[in-house]
Formats: sequence, C-alpha cells, structure tokens
Amino acid sequence: MGLDSHLQDEECAALAQQGDRAAFAALVRRYQDRIYRFLVRLTRSPDDALELTQETFLNAYQALPRWTPQARLSTWLFRIARNLAFDWLRRGKRVAFVPLDEDEEAHYPDPAPGPDAVLETLQRYQGLEAALARLPAEHREILLLREIEEMPYEDIAAVLDLNLGTVKSRLARARAALLNKLPR
Amino acid sequence: MACPHHDQLSAYADQQLPPAELARLRGHAEVCPACQQRLHDITALGQSLRALPSPALGFDLAAQLNDRLRAPPQPGRRPALPWADWRGWMPAGLGAGLALASGVWLGGLLLGGGMAHAPAASQVRVFDPVPPGGLCAAAELCRLSPGMP
Repeated sequence: MGLDSHLQDEECAALAQQGDRAAFAALVRRYQDRIYRFLVRLTRSPDDALELTQETFLNAYQALPRWTPQARLSTWLFRIARNLAFDWLRRGKRVAFVPLDEDEEAHYPDPAPGPDAVLETLQRYQGLEAALARLPAEHREILLLREIEEMPYEDIAAVLDLNLGTVKSRLARARAALLNKLPR
Repeated sequence: MACPHHDQLSAYADQQLPPAELARLRGHAEVCPACQQRLHDITALGQSLRALPSPALGFDLAAQLNDRLRAPPQPGRRPALPWADWRGWMPAGLGAGLALASGVWLGGLLLGGGMAHAPAASQVRVFDPVPPGGLCAAAELCRLSPGMP
C-alpha cells in the first residue's frame, strides 16, 4: 500500500525496471480501471476488454526495460492498450453494441429524487453509450482520451501517434459526429 | 468576423488556441448566438461523457497477474517464444533422426538385405497377348521376338 500512496508513476516504473514487482503491482492497481474502461468502450466487449487489459500490463512489464522517463507512463500504457485494441479490431472480432443490462443500470447514481428523473437519466446514459458505440473506432478513441481520460492534446498525440494539428481536427470531427448521433 | 470553423470552436472549448486567437474567438462568441450554442453543445457533450458510469474491473488485477510475472523484465529482450530457441528442438530432432534410421534399416531387411535384382525377361512374361489355348487374332501381335523362348 505504501508504494501506492507516495511514489510517482515514474518512480514506480524505475523500481519495476530493477525487478521490483511490488512497484509494478502498484502501477497495475493505479491504472487497471482506467485502461479497462477505455478498452471496454473501444471494443464494446467486456470480456475481451478484460483480456486486453491483462495483455496491456503483461506487455508493459516485458517492455519496461525500453521505457524511458521522457515518456509519460500513463500515455505509454494507453498507447500499448490502444495498439492491442486496434489489433483486436483489425482481426475482425467486433461485437455488436450490447444494451446496458439491468445490473449495470442498478449501479447508476441517483441524481434526482423522482422516478421519472431517474428514468430520464438512464435513458440519456444509454443514448450516449449507444451513440458512442456507433462511431468509428478512430473517433471513439480520441473522444475517450479527451473527454473521459481528460488528456491534454500533447498526450493524445503521443498515444495515437498523431501530430497536434491532426488531434485538433480529428477531435472536432469526432465531437460533431457524436452530436449528430445523439437523440434530440 | 465570420463564424469560426468547428475545429476552431472545438479547440477553443479546450483552451487549446494561441492567446491572440483565443481572444479573437471569445470576442466573436460573445455576440454570436449560433457560436454560443455550438460551444454549449461541445461543453455539454464533454460533461455528459464524464458523467457516464465508469465500468471497473472490480478485482485486484495485480494479484492475478503476479504468477505470470515471475520472470523479471530483461533489457532488450522480447518474451522468448518456445520455437525461437533451437535447443528446444534437440529432443524432437534426435527422435526424428532415429525414426528415419530405423525405417531405412527395416526396409533393408524386408528387401532381403541387399540390392533388388531385376528378374529375367522370361520370368516376367505373364502378359502374353494370346491367352493360353486361345487363337491368335493378329499374327503380328503373336509373333514372338527372336530373343524370347
């Protein structure tokens, strides 16, 4: 637990490079949910996202000796995850969008007192998830990185291997596409 | 000033424009209801996406991966593939060689332990054009060659 609390990512990574598995475990705990939620929305398959999350960290562990502190660890991990997801998508393992089931709905926060407001919120979430799922993967990934992971443009450029101008234009197109798909 | 392109508005919403351009766009947006609406849509979209329930793994992945991370990472080396190390093939290669050698030896035994000899032509004259006791339908077919008994 100590490692989780006081060491920066890069310090953990440096220790992990020297074979400190506890330091690497701290990094896994720190990023597992972020990587997983990114992969779930990119692949639309929770089972495959779980497998790809594991692969991300296994690949990262093996690639650690090549990691340098110049690369921010979070962008480095997201880049590995993103490349694995796109390999997976290229292999044709796409799945159809699966509507949210009742168990998932039960975990939604209750933002309003009345049942009508709860229902409206659920419908808004479902509509947004469905619209997101219908976007091309290139649009989906850039929106996820910017809006959900709240990455600066420079980090998005590093994850997606794009220049800043392309990040700016692709993000604008992705936003426009998602707004067009949202129920009015 | 004409309404900015969507790229510019999107970058403006993210505060990712140079200061001069940011100020120019801000001035326009203050007096343009259409751009105000577009900016509102972009901002609201981001807020909605961030408000989505976040799927989580729900267990400690590090503990699960622990067994698979026994070997420490090695500099400049990818994980070894089982077929990449030629030493891994030695037992299989030896076995295949032995199987081949024993096959040759057994084949030699079946053939009488020596080279195969071609039998004499008289011994293989079994395809006579005329069946035993039959009449010859064409003389040229039935004429025996001088070397044949």
